[in-house]
Amino acid sequence: MLLQCIKKLIAVAAIVVLHFSISGTTLAQPPGPELDRTIPTPRLNDGKIDFGGDGVWSLPYIRNFADRIVGGDENSAVPFLPWTEAMHEYNASNNVAYDPEGFCLPPGGPRSMATPYPAEIIQHRDRIIIIFEGGGHVWREIHMDGREHPDLETYVPSYFGHSVGHWENDTLVVDTVGYNEKTWLDFGGHMHSDQLHTIEYFTRTDKNTLHYEATIDDPGAYTEPWTIAWDINWSEGQELADYICQENNKYLIDLVDDFGNPFFESTPVAR
Amino acid sequence: MKTKFALYPIALFTAFSLTQAFAHHSFLAEFDPDSPIEIEGTVIKVEWTNPHTYFFIEVESEDGDFEEWALEMGSPNGLTRRGWRRDTLKVGDIVTVTGTAARDGRAKANAETVVLDTGQRLFAGTSRPDFVEDNN
Repeated sequence: MLLQCIKKLIAVAAIVVLHFSISGTTLAQPPGPELDRTIPTPRLNDGKIDFGGDGVWSLPYIRNFADRIVGGDENSAVPFLPWTEAMHEYNASNNVAYDPEGFCLPPGGPRSMATPYPAEIIQHRDRIIIIFEGGGHVWREIHMDGREHPDLETYVPSYFGHSVGHWENDTLVVDTVGYNEKTWLDFGGHMHSDQLHTIEYFTRTDKNTLHYEATIDDPGAYTEPWTIAWDINWSEGQELADYICQENNKYLIDLVDDFGNPFFESTPVAR
Repeated sequence: MKTKFALYPIALFTAFSLTQAFAHHSFLAEFDPDSPIEIEGTVIKVEWTNPHTYFFIEVESEDGDFEEWALEMGSPNGLTRRGWRRDTLKVGDIVTVTGTAARDGRAKANAETVVLDTGQRLFAGTSRPDFVEDNN
């Protein structure tokens, strides 16, 4: 018995030594450099904050928005309505198998800032466009020309809704309505209704930091508005790359419903 | 069959520092974290496709039969950012793969590391939840 334990310990030690001794040939991502948080925020010629530069925003992977609630006390929780609480439990029970983003549908709303692929923010005179590598190469457009939201009685709901923006000092404030119900708020299965209204705050606090905050106001899904926040790192010198999610999504081919039947009646993508 | 269940501690791999996670669909819905695998075989096909890169290996069983395994990796954009190139993994390479087996029992797994017969160890861009961390 003792001999077996010693053998196991030696085997584990050998693996550890092997692992570190060949780390020089590992193609893992090396530890990222510590970012300098003292470099001033870049500005455009008109004095507005410049969200661009020679690089991209390295969006973090925020799986559970409940972990990112701000503005309340330490016990703040997602203010569920019964149906969203029940659906959140159901989604957790099947390991979020039916997450629309897993189907290569767009993340929509604040989740687009929590899907862990790079993004670029491009500022035009009358609109700001955010290009996302993840979420299947999608973009969103924020109108900065002072227009109002359209009449939601006639507006066809969409994945990213209708966004208008304005500046509050150095913070870009984006107000969005007109979302469809085909997305989840987050990977963890928090859902929303088509009454979803988001107010997002983008603040580049220094060259390497974008502070992001979003208020989720959805009387069809939650009892009161709730606010989430996180920081996003600048990645100097990086560029966007190809990511055509729907190309070969084998996951969909094998996905079954609660009764073991194919989730999709016909094969939606080439095997 | 050269498939064997890995005994090494998972903590070994936390040495990999990720600044960008691999994420697409639910890992746990497709793969069983209680079924780690380690298999050795010959690469017969490499698919550089989205949302996941796949490669296929032929694994010889103890009685001489061959079984084809499909191994899921990260997306091409993420892998190339970590240094992968088109010729990093080639048909004919003999590899040892550690990863997580599919829940449905088929010869399919999510790959975590690929060790070439040259000894080079490659991170395969797994989306296993405990492999990825928020980068802030």
